[in-house]
Amino acid sequence: MRRILYVLLTIFLILTFNYLLFRVMPGDVARMVIPRHATPQTIAALHAYYGLDKDPISQYVIYLKQTLTGEFGKSISFRTGSTVGDIIGPYLTKTLFLVGTGTVISIFVGVILGRETAWRRGKVLDKVGSAFFITFYCMPTFLFALVMLTIVANYVPGWPISHETSDTYDSLDPIGKVLDRIQHLLVPVFALVIETIATFSIITRSALIDVLTEDYMLTAVAKGLRPRNVLKKHAMPNALLPVVTVVAMNVGWILSGSIMIEVIFGYQGLGWLTYEAVLGLDYPLLQTAFMLEAVAVVIANLIADIALFKLDPRLKL
Amino acid sequence: MTVPMTKPLTRARTRNMLLSKTQVERVKLLARRGRSIWSDYRRNLGGMTGLIILMFFLVMAVFAPLLATHAEPNNQVLWGDNPKFAPPSSRFLFGTDSLGRDVYSLTVFGSRASLVVGIVASLISIILGTAVGLIAGYFGKISDEILMRTTDFFLVIPWFPLMIVFATLLGKSFTNVIIVIGITSWPSTARIVRAQVLTVKEKGFVERARAIGSGSGHLIARHILPNVVPLIFANTILLIANSIFSESFLDFFGLGDIRVVSWGTMLEEAYDAGAFSRAWWWIAGPGISIVALIMAFYMIGDALDEILNPRLRRR
Repeated sequence: MRRILYVLLTIFLILTFNYLLFRVMPGDVARMVIPRHATPQTIAALHAYYGLDKDPISQYVIYLKQTLTGEFGKSISFRTGSTVGDIIGPYLTKTLFLVGTGTVISIFVGVILGRETAWRRGKVLDKVGSAFFITFYCMPTFLFALVMLTIVANYVPGWPISHETSDTYDSLDPIGKVLDRIQHLLVPVFALVIETIATFSIITRSALIDVLTEDYMLTAVAKGLRPRNVLKKHAMPNALLPVVTVVAMNVGWILSGSIMIEVIFGYQGLGWLTYEAVLGLDYPLLQTAFMLEAVAVVIANLIADIALFKLDPRLKL
Repeated sequence: MTVPMTKPLTRARTRNMLLSKTQVERVKLLARRGRSIWSDYRRNLGGMTGLIILMFFLVMAVFAPLLATHAEPNNQVLWGDNPKFAPPSSRFLFGTDSLGRDVYSLTVFGSRASLVVGIVASLISIILGTAVGLIAGYFGKISDEILMRTTDFFLVIPWFPLMIVFATLLGKSFTNVIIVIGITSWPSTARIVRAQVLTVKEKGFVERARAIGSGSGHLIARHILPNVVPLIFANTILLIANSIFSESFLDFFGLGDIRVVSWGTMLEEAYDAGAFSRAWWWIAGPGISIVALIMAFYMIGDALDEILNPRLRRR
């Protein structure tokens, strides 16, 4: 319960920080939208339109009200007159889908790879695996995405490398639609997960190696358990605790990776929208995108905490 | 004249010496410690590989004008009549880009931007993080509470979106990239430093120093900071890797300074010009360099961490 209260407080702080950041920093909304030779009347009208004519405190109250009702102020670059709330919905779901899929795949594959390399510590598979992990751990996601793009563009002609559906999407039957989406997602998801898989593998490997040197491992072997059972029943549950913590810390990282992936593959999610907002200097849009990204990470951390609590009965929320 | 000449002479020499005996001892101790660390380090395969790669890039950055085959690769007057999208050849080692610039020379000059950003941004972040960690850990109570809540707040906010927002609001320039990376990457350092300060603070020698009347400033500077430094040192190297990573990302996102040649900007331009389907060499040069340099710092940091903080396992 205390944990949830703390999360709510953090979200409130994020909202406030987000408000202050976009007003304190140089280059505010007002200066962005006003034409250079505007008459005083135009300036006043624009100020009134974007709600900049009121004092900072009431602006803050309006900001909070708008955010909580999901309206989010008026966009600058997208169809003048539309509110950010109208624009952002579909982008948010697409990003949540991409990040969610990416996280689940990275956890499964990363933990399995880490487990197998730790179990074969010092053998060929471990050495080759570790070299791969370090290389991909050090490779920025956008760079790997570029490499994938180069490979696919040159060797798999006809494979879709941008947007989330084909142009002919609407004429396809339901199964064709699903397949079309999957085909479009395959390369971006692969490019997104490779770095996090490497991270999780490294963590799982080192956590498991730590656990495997403990005395109770020797006890488990001594009482006649099969080696694989020792690994599954005794070593893994204990090794997973640090892994969960790191996974929680890495949700923000996966989200950052998804920003790069979305930009490169033209996948129209929150990251792509962030990019458009930066290019168009659309501050209300950027503000909302940033706020949603931050809140998503806070909530993901809460979920990870609850998972940790379930895994380790000694912990208290 | 039976008095041995050496004794007063030694005394005189000591009196006129610039360094006191304690200082000489300290330097000797430091040298001995350095030698022992180096002998450990030399046996660490990953660390040595990283160091060699780093040396390679340092030489590249310092002697860039000598190593580049085309002087001032980013100068429009000089690239004017070069062929565009030329594949690698003896004249253009890594080929040319969409404007006819020599990719090899750009890559060589690009090492400067990455190293400068990596090192300066990490310094800013280390100074901020250490200050916050020291104050929070040493003074405790209210200051600890406030500073650590702030740190937690910045730790939980996704790092890249925060950088994007800062960079957008500050505007595009080389200095701003450094500042943005510096002021967004300190929280992890602050946590590490605070944890170490909390343990060092309770040690006997700190208590003894306080008992004989040392002030807070003296305690922090002479007793606590020296015990935190080894921890920060390995962390700094890893931070540099992160900063280079962030710099290339910001550049790629179009938030870098296009007047400065950097690997991230090169990749951005390559992506915008559609190089992935027709000019792989344009991506290969800067791409391999970024990965190699980040890997070098990562391996050095990892090796140092193992040697300096044997009991601590990172992450």
